[in-house]
Amino acid sequence: MIESGEKEKLMELLRERLVECGWKDEMKALCRAYIKKKGTNNVTVDDLVHVITPKGRASIPDSIKTELLLRIRAFLASAAL
Amino acid sequence: MSSKINHHHQNDKTNGQIFPQPCPHLADFHARNGTKPFRAIQDCLHIKPPGGRAAIRRDSSEVPRCGVCGDSSCPRLYACMACAAVSCHVPPHSSHVAIHATKTSSACSHEIAVDVDRAELFCCACRDQVYDRDFDAAVVLAHTTSIIQSSKPENLRKRRRIDYRPWSPDLRERSLMVNNASPIDSMSSSNGDLPRGLRGLNNLGNTCFMNSVLQALFHTPPLRNYFLSDRHNRYYCQSKNGVRLCLACDLDTMFSAIFCGDRMPYSPAKFLYSWWRHASNLASYEQQDAHEFFISMLDGIHEKVEKDQHKPRSQGNGDCCIAHRVFSGILRSDVMCMACGFTSTTFDPCVDFSLDLEPNQGSSMKTSSTKTNHSCNCEADGMNSSQNCGISTLMGCLDRFTRPERLGSDQKFFCQQCQVRQESLKQMSIRKLPLVSCFHIKRFEHSSVRKMSRKVDRYLQFPLSLDMAPYLSSSILRSRFGNRFFPFDGDESNTLNEPSSEFELFAVVTHTGKLDAGHYVTYLRLSNKWYKCDDAWITEVNENTVRAAQGYMMFYVQKMLYYKASEKQGTS
Repeated sequence: MIESGEKEKLMELLRERLVECGWKDEMKALCRAYIKKKGTNNVTVDDLVHVITPKGRASIPDSIKTELLLRIRAFLASAAL
Repeated sequence: MSSKINHHHQNDKTNGQIFPQPCPHLADFHARNGTKPFRAIQDCLHIKPPGGRAAIRRDSSEVPRCGVCGDSSCPRLYACMACAAVSCHVPPHSSHVAIHATKTSSACSHEIAVDVDRAELFCCACRDQVYDRDFDAAVVLAHTTSIIQSSKPENLRKRRRIDYRPWSPDLRERSLMVNNASPIDSMSSSNGDLPRGLRGLNNLGNTCFMNSVLQALFHTPPLRNYFLSDRHNRYYCQSKNGVRLCLACDLDTMFSAIFCGDRMPYSPAKFLYSWWRHASNLASYEQQDAHEFFISMLDGIHEKVEKDQHKPRSQGNGDCCIAHRVFSGILRSDVMCMACGFTSTTFDPCVDFSLDLEPNQGSSMKTSSTKTNHSCNCEADGMNSSQNCGISTLMGCLDRFTRPERLGSDQKFFCQQCQVRQESLKQMSIRKLPLVSCFHIKRFEHSSVRKMSRKVDRYLQFPLSLDMAPYLSSSILRSRFGNRFFPFDGDESNTLNEPSSEFELFAVVTHTGKLDAGHYVTYLRLSNKWYKCDDAWITEVNENTVRAAQGYMMFYVQKMLYYKASEKQGTS
């Protein structure tokens, strides 16, 4: 799926959907809050990713999950033929 | 796994920009690799349309894999700057890139790597992202060379300014001022507690649309100052020779009437008649749209006053008339072809911002409180967190206005590079802010398909102070190019925040009722008190009343022109 470039397309679609529904802005706000709490000099990227990931995963709207799953399934079905 | 090294990145200021100092490993890398160590990677920088994301690939179809575990699906893959080995980095499970970094040889150190999907630098030893001006310059260069710019040259900036010369009155001028001036305090205190400049306007037959806009304009600081300082004198105005009408003269008449201190409601009959002659299609006793009247009036002033200037400049400059000088701004529209990334940029002048009020601003993931809006605990002044409560806010509407929008397949744009019509992405931003921003909320929907119109009653929350910085072209462009050396937007200590992007609310025109049977009322903010102007009746009201009102047009003035008067009334 990666080699055909399909993964890239799906990633782009996912990014678009997440921006549309405001998820990205939410995550940005969470990051800002965390950085404010810790102080700008005490945070590394790893830190942020570690903290944000569970919250991010949990807050993705179901409609987006469904859409992506359907597309992946469709692609796999067509690739298997 | 190596332990986390915690050190403080000092910030140093260059040209007013906060720039983080390089970590010792990055500095070391620079020292070992000459003056332009990142130029070597220029060839590998590929900009992916349509988002313009920069990626590192040796050839455009390469699929990077971790050299150690062969995994290509992990979210972050880093390529070592020294030997181009790709490794994955998935803390806290495994970090092959950290292991790679420990391989130091005498010739080069393998501590600096670059994220292959985002083109961002990473220091494996510090386990943190690092920033480098040279690298970012290479990325921006790749962006601009891959997209042919066709934007207009920025000669809109060429405005000559007069040198400031200090002045203080001499004896003759001083005596002139004293003899021709009358003290304000004594007059206003005898006329009740309303401050100067507040006077009711009689309704002449469904003219509340006009009265409400006029009240807002009377207290628009630059406009008020212009007319009260006699910049347009109705006795000497040339354009009124014969039967020609001059709306600016009628406006001057009204300003004199409103600010003279008389408290009896004023009837703007002459102005109404003049305006009917100017906008004859709207001349009737039916209720009109306040926003339509506003635009028509600005147009009226523009036409007439322009005759004074012998060289009409482009409207964006705002030099043509007082209406444009106060209200006119410049919008930037970028249309980007989804196929090749070619961006076409146009600049258009505007006198106001018409914003859509769409339902449901991104509240799908949080359970929104269904109580009435003012009992919600969110901060009212321009915080994005209010979106979580499911309320529409003015900033939400502005976000929507400047969000990239995909133009559908029926609106394909002709791309100059591809020479065919392609699907494209359009994004609006504000190139130049006006002195006074008027936000018009599109509450009246006219559907020609269904041959009916309806009104959107949805409540909109608006702040008293508004910072327009995130909607400027500079901010929008910055966010498009990704995480570069442009400093991150700190909230309080944002050194790039020009003082002229902060605005204060001073007037709100509200509409209540139905589409065809409604009423306009204006709320004015003077000396930090709010006054309700309902045709001929003016009363002082509580700030919460204003916040709860259904805003239709909101007027904001640049903070430096807004005088937060002291308790003593009379100055505003």
